[in-house]
Amino acid sequence: MKNEITLQTRREFLRTTVLGSALSWTVPAFLANTLSALQSQAADSATQVVTGKDATILVVLQMAGGNDGINTVVPYASDFYHRARPKIGLTGDKIIKLNDEIGFNGALTGFKSLYDAGNLAVVQGVGYPNPNRSHFRSTEIWQTASDSDRIEKYGWLGRYFDNACAGADPTVGVTIGNQLPEAFFAKLPKGICFSNPQNYRFMSNGTATEESYKKLNELEMSGSAPDGGPGMTPAENSGGSISSLAAGMPMQGGSAVDFISRTALDAQMSSDKVRDIAARVQNQANYPGSQLGNSLKLVAKLIGGGLPTRVYYVSQGGYDTHTNQLGTQQRLLQDLGDSTKAFVDDMKAQGNMGRVLVMTFSEFGRRVNENANGGTDHGAAAPMFIVGNKVKAGMLGRYPSLAPQDLYQGDIKYNVDFRNVYASVLENWLKTKSAPILGKQFELLPLV
Amino acid sequence: MLKPLSSNRWSYETAAHLLNRAGFGGPPSEIEKLAGLKPDGAISALLDYEAIPDNTPNPDWARPDPARMARLRDINQHGTPEEKKAAQQQENKQQNLWVLELRGWWLQRMARGPRPLQEKMVLFWHGHFATSSEKVRETYYMWRQNELFRRLATGNWQQLLTDAGKDPAMLIWLDQAQSNKQHPNENFAREVMELFALGEGHYTEHDIGEGARALTGWSLDRLNQQYVYRAGLHDNGEKTFLGRTGNLDGDDVIAQIVAQPQAARFITAKLWNFFAGQYPTDELNTALAAVFRANGNNFKPLLRVMFGCEEFYAPDIVRNQVKSPVQWLIGSVRMLECDLPPTLVSYGMLRQLGQDLLAPPNVKGWDGGVTWITTNSLLTRYNDADALVQGTLPPLTANDFAKKPGGAGGEKAMKALQRVRMGGVNLDKILTPAERADKDLLVTALEKRLLQASLKGEQELALSDFLNSKIKLTDADIHTAIRLLMCTPEYQVT
Repeated sequence: MKNEITLQTRREFLRTTVLGSALSWTVPAFLANTLSALQSQAADSATQVVTGKDATILVVLQMAGGNDGINTVVPYASDFYHRARPKIGLTGDKIIKLNDEIGFNGALTGFKSLYDAGNLAVVQGVGYPNPNRSHFRSTEIWQTASDSDRIEKYGWLGRYFDNACAGADPTVGVTIGNQLPEAFFAKLPKGICFSNPQNYRFMSNGTATEESYKKLNELEMSGSAPDGGPGMTPAENSGGSISSLAAGMPMQGGSAVDFISRTALDAQMSSDKVRDIAARVQNQANYPGSQLGNSLKLVAKLIGGGLPTRVYYVSQGGYDTHTNQLGTQQRLLQDLGDSTKAFVDDMKAQGNMGRVLVMTFSEFGRRVNENANGGTDHGAAAPMFIVGNKVKAGMLGRYPSLAPQDLYQGDIKYNVDFRNVYASVLENWLKTKSAPILGKQFELLPLV
Repeated sequence: MLKPLSSNRWSYETAAHLLNRAGFGGPPSEIEKLAGLKPDGAISALLDYEAIPDNTPNPDWARPDPARMARLRDINQHGTPEEKKAAQQQENKQQNLWVLELRGWWLQRMARGPRPLQEKMVLFWHGHFATSSEKVRETYYMWRQNELFRRLATGNWQQLLTDAGKDPAMLIWLDQAQSNKQHPNENFAREVMELFALGEGHYTEHDIGEGARALTGWSLDRLNQQYVYRAGLHDNGEKTFLGRTGNLDGDDVIAQIVAQPQAARFITAKLWNFFAGQYPTDELNTALAAVFRANGNNFKPLLRVMFGCEEFYAPDIVRNQVKSPVQWLIGSVRMLECDLPPTLVSYGMLRQLGQDLLAPPNVKGWDGGVTWITTNSLLTRYNDADALVQGTLPPLTANDFAKKPGGAGGEKAMKALQRVRMGGVNLDKILTPAERADKDLLVTALEKRLLQASLKGEQELALSDFLNSKIKLTDADIHTAIRLLMCTPEYQVT
């Protein structure tokens, strides 16, 4: 108890000194906002600050490895389909029929109930021009939203943070995993990641050690800061200061140690916050015990706990089904549908369903013809799934033709560029202009 | 500009700064040795490394293997699907083992090798040419490129660009191996200008197209695993590249790039940033580029001037560079005089901290600087410090060993990790009995060893408070104190 009081006093001190005198100097805006957030939290600890409790949230779900879209959304009435896949073509009760031509893979029971409830849209045949069949490169293309012959330096979500979230709390982007995905790479780095909230903390075996760590990392503002004009808002101040701290830029006035000190403070606080939420908030749905299930479970808790996050990023691996695809993909899709369904149930129980949109993607679909090992090789276009209360549910676009003459090097041709989907999500869901983020204006789709 | 640092400024602190930046830092004994020389002598001790023998043996697989390549090709062309699959699996397994071995081999050279500056330059060139084993796959090529960077570490700019461009790893990484006169691939032509030598705005899209045509013919002999010029692939038409016209080839392209004044400015600025921790002012960079060009675009004379000039020891340069994960890890084991953790652990740490050695995130390499620091990476550094000092396993997860992007292979590595043994810090080696007995002496000794500077008053107090809370200092307490000192913002910079 005594420790808490000490801590409170230290933070009090930081609020007054840092926010009072040093704010207008080189305090990175996100820190200033974190501290403002703290300040407001002190007044009302239940209020979601920075983005407000009614801000929309995007959950990006990566299906890593290249999901076979053709056996996910199945054109079961097509002769070409069954001819191309004599062994792994799905028939009968292995299909959940959606209409006379198309059905879900039988394992997607979770998606079917979301579809019936009007919470799920399927965007058919999504890809990009000059598709690349390398996992590495194609993932990079999706993550950076680049043309396939261009290398982009930053991720599409990173550019969203750069363009639309200047000055936001570092938790504006949260990745469940140990590393930020390339999609998060930004000019001004933002976003936190962790796989296990229990590991997202300073670990020690004694309270004395922990106490010393906090002291060593709390009072870190160097006294040599030049006086800035008082009364500037963080927004006015953010212009030169944080960018001057970015990699390799001359640091006018701020030092590397100051930057790290502020991050250390953020780490202490967000670590406390994340662990507090993880321990406090209860899930209100039954999730599969899979990695994806656990990730979405955690996302649900963080949303319920009011973390001011705009983008969550989770992933599910294992879709690289070159051999014996049927069982593997069934298991993965069952998990995908069930985990997503549980997440939706949880959001509904929380009353947050109206704020959340889930978008899936995979680096590529797979070849139309099955291979000799009961699997499929790297291909091109595939469907994307969009889940939410406000989606225009149902099938969007048309299923790409499987007729041999319509294929490109054995792959179905895309009819929706994935950047049309990104643009629609950015504009109609995250409510920001997409052109500065995607490099040009992509046509919007009626998604939400 | 670039006035030599005067000898009377040469001290333990300035010598430590040189060793930290030109190398990976070291224990007090090494710093004192450099401090005992004059600045010129200290720089020469690091830079004129050819005089120091380095007898590191090559990994035994580090050679061309035409027999293996022929076998793989035959299976690919004539094998049954089962044979192809088996061969592919075997091959993946082998390459994963080798690339881990290569990481360990290189990290060991950084941590214990006799030529730290050469290894630091290899790290610079790896970040600069940012080639990933994830695409190259063939570990022999990754090793070969690493050796190329070592051979030309402080050599000539034009030769480095040419040799790196013709090296198998780069031919694959930027698709030059697939280029031909019918379909010139522009990837290498673009990046050699944008990312390697000139920077955006110093060439046109037309130059890229023409450069790509001129570069056709640079190809890869996959069987013998070496560069080959294929005249049949070369476009013999006239091209105009960066203002020069003729039937240009790849060597002409590199020569014409290096002939641009910007090619000097681009690399001197990047080198200054790498060693000094921030980009130079225009004025400083103009001076650096002039030195570079006056010395025939050779790096060694440039580095001698850089490490010897007053600007390099300015207050806003010293102890103001964020350590990269490699600097953090290698510097820590050098300063603590402990063993580098087994490769599986070292690699897992680096990967978790965001510097997946031999697998940079993309062709532009690591952004570096403050981008190394996130809330997550900072906490991870703090927890890894505990592992290094105590000799316990760090809190790694299967994810830290996962292969991009699918995620296979992590669990196996985790299992192997359970059997790993770590060393920890030997206190007898790094502290005198007096320092171990006296708390004030102890704090001073640790600051001198780990920071080569003092902590702020409040932090010193916090550390003393911790030590004073112990009636008698045990080894475990001292280990914790070392760890705590590494868990400061100050320890994350150099």
